[in-house]
Amino acid sequence: MRQTDTIAEVKGAVKSFAAPEGGKVRALDGISLEILHGQFVTLLGPSGCGKTTLLRTISGFEELDAGEVRIAGVKMTNVPPHRRPVNTVFQNYALFPHLSVDDNVGYGLDVSGVARNERDRRVNEALDRVGLSGFGLRKPDQLSGGQRQRVALARAIINRPKLLLLDEPLSALDRNLRQTMQLELKSLQNDLGICFLFVTHDQEEALTMSDLVVILNKGQIEQTGTPEELYHQPATPFVAEFVGDGSLFTGRIENTSDRPVLKTNDGLCLPLGRDARVGETATLLLRPEHLRLAPDQNDESLGILEATLEQSVFHGAIRNYICRLSNGALLTVALDASDTAYKRITTGDQLRLAYPRNLPYLIKQSGNGT
Amino acid sequence: MALNSRTRSLLLLLSPASIFLGIFFLGPLIIMVIFSFLEPGLYGGVEWNFYHWNYGRILGWADGEWEEFDPVYAAIFLRSVRIAFINVIVTLLICYPTALWVNGLPSRWRTLVVFIITLPFFVSLVVRLFCWVLILRPSGFMNSILLGLGIISEPIDIIFTETAVLIGMAYVLLPFMFLPIYASVEKLDHSLVEASSDLGGGPIQTFFRITLPLTLPGVAAGAILVFIPSLGNFIVPDLLGGAKVLMIGNLVEQQFLSARNWPFGSALSVTIMLVMLTLIILYLRRLKRMEINQ
Amino acid sequence: MKRSWFRHLLSLHGILFLIFVYAPITVVVVYSFNSHPVNMMIWKEFTFDWYWSIFGFPTELNEQTLYVESTDQLLASVKNSFIVAFSTTTFATVVGTSTALALYRYQFRMQSFYRGLLYMPMVMPDIVLGIALLVFFVTFGIKLGLMSIIVGHCTFLVSYVFIVVTARLAGMDQSLEQASADLGATPWTTFRRITLPQIMPGVIGGALLAFIISMDDLVITYFIAGVDSTTLPVFIYGMLRRGVKPEINAIATLMLVFSFVIASLGLYLRSRK
Repeated sequence: MRQTDTIAEVKGAVKSFAAPEGGKVRALDGISLEILHGQFVTLLGPSGCGKTTLLRTISGFEELDAGEVRIAGVKMTNVPPHRRPVNTVFQNYALFPHLSVDDNVGYGLDVSGVARNERDRRVNEALDRVGLSGFGLRKPDQLSGGQRQRVALARAIINRPKLLLLDEPLSALDRNLRQTMQLELKSLQNDLGICFLFVTHDQEEALTMSDLVVILNKGQIEQTGTPEELYHQPATPFVAEFVGDGSLFTGRIENTSDRPVLKTNDGLCLPLGRDARVGETATLLLRPEHLRLAPDQNDESLGILEATLEQSVFHGAIRNYICRLSNGALLTVALDASDTAYKRITTGDQLRLAYPRNLPYLIKQSGNGT
Repeated sequence: MALNSRTRSLLLLLSPASIFLGIFFLGPLIIMVIFSFLEPGLYGGVEWNFYHWNYGRILGWADGEWEEFDPVYAAIFLRSVRIAFINVIVTLLICYPTALWVNGLPSRWRTLVVFIITLPFFVSLVVRLFCWVLILRPSGFMNSILLGLGIISEPIDIIFTETAVLIGMAYVLLPFMFLPIYASVEKLDHSLVEASSDLGGGPIQTFFRITLPLTLPGVAAGAILVFIPSLGNFIVPDLLGGAKVLMIGNLVEQQFLSARNWPFGSALSVTIMLVMLTLIILYLRRLKRMEINQ
Repeated sequence: MKRSWFRHLLSLHGILFLIFVYAPITVVVVYSFNSHPVNMMIWKEFTFDWYWSIFGFPTELNEQTLYVESTDQLLASVKNSFIVAFSTTTFATVVGTSTALALYRYQFRMQSFYRGLLYMPMVMPDIVLGIALLVFFVTFGIKLGLMSIIVGHCTFLVSYVFIVVTARLAGMDQSLEQASADLGATPWTTFRRITLPQIMPGVIGGALLAFIISMDDLVITYFIAGVDSTTLPVFIYGMLRRGVKPEINAIATLMLVFSFVIASLGLYLRSRK
């Protein structure tokens, strides 16, 4: 049955706010979304795209102007936050400063009047699960950032919500801790088997953890897909730019010596694969790893670009070469830093760059992008 | 003398306040304490002899010859404490919901409403109390209205009752309760309220478990700021309480301006000061504990 | 929203609160224009006569009712109030500001003592400070008069200025002063060109607060004013003790307007940053 598989559903959500300078801003502009049982879903987008607003309409802190939210099949319109079967991990954790870790975690049970024994058992279990056994008597300000994060998590899962909402919970942590927590969150979600709806503006975070990523822009969904789909087959130029690195070239597809090429307005000519449809306007996405130095002999399967090296940046395993094309656009090429063959290249060199004609992804202009 | 420039500018900045407050603030307080242990002269003035009966008259010992222990002083003192305490409760009940209301307003309204609320309190105390004299006296505004509406058939006496004193006192001291409470309500992180609600706490549970405990420092500060001036007040009971509702402040005033027993008046005043200091010390220690706890 | 009944209840409370605060004032203002000479609560007709009579101009009511207090005394008390308020404001602002700067800028051992010393006058009940000053002045044979009032007001107004300026200093970005020093400015230049402009709103705010409190102070002035140096609040208090007269409405209204103007000015200056 479909109903049992769908944990949460948003249909045609519209929400406007009064803008500070007068008028109205549409934070959500007709969003529909479905979260299936056991999924880790991420809402990804730049700040102001509406992702936090969407989360807050699900948790009940904002009411929709139009559309509806359903959780486990039940319509949530006019249901206040404290009656919704979802829990939230807040961005700043929102730990109660006057309560101990124990009482913070047990809060959800205390307000619903769970018996003392049962409550203590579940609090210990939750603390255990996030690796904080023995911290129960401390106050939140006696904990490190990572520990607070775990308390917030334990507090939010203790009510066994159908859906756990996480509002940029890792943004306050430093890089190393953030990466550790990403893995922990993912395995916690696997263990618990509850849905996570995770909000972030960090694409790396989204790609690492999610089963499904929803990319939002200006209150609308740009694309919904697995991390692989988003990276390799972005639906719109916005998604292509937002997820991963790379350069975009927009132009018309034409035939030159029997092979399709993309001609941009500023005179660049990029060879394409056979399946490109002549006559259409499209955008080509070249990721750094698509490009290599061109071999000396001619190869029909490669597209060649002439460029001048402006700068090279060391990144450990790889080195990024930032090159300027004849039209003035910048292009990044990622090459193996350990390969001594590239040592000779210095700033100002003319480079011939090559990419497999079939590899780059072509975004059709007729898509739902702008 | 070789003072470095840091020490020199520090001395320069600090000496005016040190000298002035040393002489004209600490000095008078010390003299007052000394006076409270001196013997009152027969026709006003003082004899420079050590004399503890001033306190005896208030607290319950007497030499049985000149000074009589009169429980009326203790009774007035207790009445003052009671009125001050009731006033704290009344202003708290009035101000806390108001602070919540203001805090819930759209942000561009908030500053304006706080200003409107505090504006009348820049007006002279006498003027504000005069307003209530006008309203509460037998031929006053309230009786005129009640008589006109036929609710009462003859003027009721409100002025010169404890109720009148309490109304005036609350009116005069409202901002001292409102501002600290509002400051702590405004400072309260709204995501904590949302977190409580998210975890299943209803509005009432959220209020008593989260909002109230976290704004308690503001309530405590407000309580202190209202209690202290209520306790020593003599203008409000004088204008609205008359001779029937004497408070310790009136007693002090009488000792200085009509009875001319300055040592006894000083002793009464020192008593007020001691109550104040005790409260402040308790408050500060409590505050420190709360800071450690949070 | 589900919580709306709660919000509505709060709004109702808030509006009642505002009524409680403003209704008494309104009554006084309205009845200051009532020409009924005997019972001022019975509305007769609109008149400016009470305002004329407090300034000693002859009016119809004046002749009929013989309610007039001595206008000379009233005007003298107004003059005293202004002299006191201006002197105390000047002194308290300079001393309060310099103390705030000292405690903000330098770390020294007596700091918490000074903080305590400056908070104390604010929490000291008026009556205690008032009689302490009275006992002090009389013991040392200092004549009660304008000078004793000015000194008395300064003992607690220094603290008010101190608090306001300290709050402003706490919000100041300390790196600005460091940047100025780094660019080669002497401490005095840094103070004049960076620090002072930064804290100016606080200084002005503190001065206005001191001015208003000095103008309004009743209790302390009541004890330490000499016979011929009453201020306006003490004068009105004396009038009130002798009985309620209609021209007090007019005086009270004028004082209300004056306080409102000063307070609004303070808010305006503060909001301008």
